[in-house]
Amino acid sequence: MTVFSAPAPRAGAVFPFGVPHKFRPPPHTPCMKTVTGNLEKDVSALKKLLPAEDIPTFSFLSGGGLPFTAVYADAVTDKELLGEQVIEPLLGYGNDPDPAHVARRISSPEARLKRSLPELAEEVLEGNPVLLWEGGKEGLAVGTKQVFSRAVAEPSTDVVIKGPREGFVEDVKINSSLVRRRFKTGELRIDTVTVGRRSKTVVCVCYLEGTSVQSTVDGIKEKLGRIDIDYVPDSSYLTHFLAERPHSLVKQIGTTEKPDIFCAKIAEGRVGLLVDGSPIALTAPYLLIEDFQSSEDYFVPAYRATFTRLLRLFALLVAIYFPAFYISAQLFKLQLFPVKLLLTIAGSIRDIPFSPSIEMLLVLLVLEVLNEASIRMPKYVGMALSVVGALVLGETAVSAGFVSTPAIIIIAFSGIGLYAVPNLIEVTSVLRLAMLLVAGSVGTFGILLLSGFCLFYLVTCENFGVPLVAPFSPLVGRDLRDSLVKFNLRSLPLRPRTLKSPNRRRLK
Amino acid sequence: MTVSRRQLYFFLACVAPAGKLILLPARLAESAKNDLLLPAAIHLALQAAAVFCALLLCERGETLHDMLAATFGRVAAKIFLTVFSVFLAYAAFLPLLEEKLFVQSVYYDTLPSITSFAPFFLFAAYLAAKPIRALGRVWDILGIVAAIGYAGILILSAGSADYAALAPAGGSGMGILLGVLRTWGWFFDAALLLPLAGHIEAKKGTAWRGALFYLVGSAAVLLFLAVFYGIFQETATNQLFAIAATSKYFSGVSMLGRVDYAFVFLLGLVVLFLSALPVQGCVECLLQAYGREHHLPAFLSVGISAVLLALVLVCDFRFGDVMSVISGTLFWIFPLFSVLVPALCLALRRSHA
Repeated sequence: MTVFSAPAPRAGAVFPFGVPHKFRPPPHTPCMKTVTGNLEKDVSALKKLLPAEDIPTFSFLSGGGLPFTAVYADAVTDKELLGEQVIEPLLGYGNDPDPAHVARRISSPEARLKRSLPELAEEVLEGNPVLLWEGGKEGLAVGTKQVFSRAVAEPSTDVVIKGPREGFVEDVKINSSLVRRRFKTGELRIDTVTVGRRSKTVVCVCYLEGTSVQSTVDGIKEKLGRIDIDYVPDSSYLTHFLAERPHSLVKQIGTTEKPDIFCAKIAEGRVGLLVDGSPIALTAPYLLIEDFQSSEDYFVPAYRATFTRLLRLFALLVAIYFPAFYISAQLFKLQLFPVKLLLTIAGSIRDIPFSPSIEMLLVLLVLEVLNEASIRMPKYVGMALSVVGALVLGETAVSAGFVSTPAIIIIAFSGIGLYAVPNLIEVTSVLRLAMLLVAGSVGTFGILLLSGFCLFYLVTCENFGVPLVAPFSPLVGRDLRDSLVKFNLRSLPLRPRTLKSPNRRRLK
Repeated sequence: MTVSRRQLYFFLACVAPAGKLILLPARLAESAKNDLLLPAAIHLALQAAAVFCALLLCERGETLHDMLAATFGRVAAKIFLTVFSVFLAYAAFLPLLEEKLFVQSVYYDTLPSITSFAPFFLFAAYLAAKPIRALGRVWDILGIVAAIGYAGILILSAGSADYAALAPAGGSGMGILLGVLRTWGWFFDAALLLPLAGHIEAKKGTAWRGALFYLVGSAAVLLFLAVFYGIFQETATNQLFAIAATSKYFSGVSMLGRVDYAFVFLLGLVVLFLSALPVQGCVECLLQAYGREHHLPAFLSVGISAVLLALVLVCDFRFGDVMSVISGTLFWIFPLFSVLVPALCLALRRSHA
């Protein structure tokens, strides 16, 4: 696992995402080997390092009779490009084995000469075919990797009515191009780090030099550098290593699937991470308030954005507390209900065989199961699921007297409210359950105590020196202008003080 | 992370007054009747002066231990801090009993068992195990929460009060003095600030501004007392849990239920933290005296919370007796530690460290 910085492409070759092999020990190679110039021996040595059946070789002669062999990974190499850019030009080449001459002959913009066989083997594994020839003291790795990626589309988790609709995809090259397109400045740094002993996953650390806090950038790189894991399938793996409290219930690294949000966060002074194979980009430092903000808030009038943000908070509070307060009121403090409502509730729960908390837990459990099933279920079955969920489980359960109507209404409202802030759903659903449990056992006092615990825990959480609950705690007056309330863009000339950006002014 | 001046002012103006809105109003009304504002004002003025002294000490930017050690030596500092921590544990007892009664009466229709209150000690232990400077961050939020809760209750109840019931002022005579003596247990805010010395942002002007903010909070307490007595008048003595009782005559209650409880719960949350504060102060004093090796903060916080839990269990049904001892026989302990000690501490030298 190595960390390195690639601020600018080298002259003559553009390969901003090439892996820095010279810093990296090759896998499963007890000793370093180099290209000897004896084609048969070199190919045999390379094949020893890469014995897999899907790594074939292709031998051909140049126009001058010089024998060449291309070693490539079948599934990840663009063979058409290999033919066009490498083999075809070499068919008209003479017999000079000088590597520099050979490299100049081919028409690929990404060509690297390397002596080390393990390094060449790694190039092959990354999809870059390696060319060896008789008398050549170096191998030539050519960037003709085949990229399989879906088209850039609007992410289903972050749909907007107004604003950009692009979303990240699984290919880090495409993702960084989406970022680069939005920042036409040399201040944008995209540093590459590889993580994963076997997966060698490319992670791009994106930040604006002079705007992001350098200690945060260094801290992130250092944490990435310390990760010693064999496989990184998704960016969410990295969040466990980047968080200061890895076992925390609350998330500590921001996530987004949209390049416009990602770039806006970078422009505020945060550091972004793009992980190869994952459409979810990470941002740090993370503030809890970020998840109450939507990209659309910045494209609609400020008063509307304020209203929707407050609505999200209200929905979230209702989602977490409403079932719990209903239970505690029913069990411990009936006074909380107005008399008429109390009579209605009394009428509806009269024949229910379960205690209010058990009843509510059962309904909540059914909701969670339905929710889980509806996400994984094939779309065709979705309609049937709705019918089963709404009619069979809902209507019939009430008429059969298993659960009361208020319980279903409350859980349904709570379930909807939770999705008003979708990025916090993992935390809030657990919190709702915890609130329900303490409400059923200790009552309102339990709810307050748990709220107190959560409050104290939240205010003590920090990541990269930035408090999670800022700008509320510690209170940063100016930053409140873009928190739960949203001021007009002209009223936000400075970057958030919370993020400690060295370049504070963004609007002149 | 230190407690900023803003956080401190939030505490003095919004958080600290919340602890004086539960049992104290009825207790004051019992002794001073319609003059309940006078003993409260005397206490608050004394505390404002003591807060000023304590914050002058905090302006030096050194811990109490360092200052004591520089003046009297390490052994004397240890002894003083140990004694002071015992006082804070003792001072914690009354708010805990008050909180327990408040919880049992306001949050439940029927009297729950003591076990329903026991989780509070987990909370107190958790808070006390954390560095005391983390409190500043909570005060940022609790200040706003308390202000909303307090304003909500006042808005819902101010219209129902007959303020003429407070006149004529000064008619209670000895009752005012009795009110002062019997309610010392609720006024030890300055003592709570001493363990914070060294953790508060040290800047000139903190002391007088702090005292001013404390007076702002005091004015809010006095306003609440006026509304409380204006509503209940002679029956005020029976309204033990003032914040839950004051707004119950709001006209919307019959239609909407006890909507005022939303504000009561907000203040209840603030009072939770406030009740745990003496325990935190006690742990901090012991840690300053004996060091912070390994798991000592956790052990101390759990140990002190457990002892207090045991005491609360023992005194579960003897609140009246406990009150008569704390505010009767032993009333002098509070002025000694919460007024005299902060004033005397001003004589401490700066440590060379």
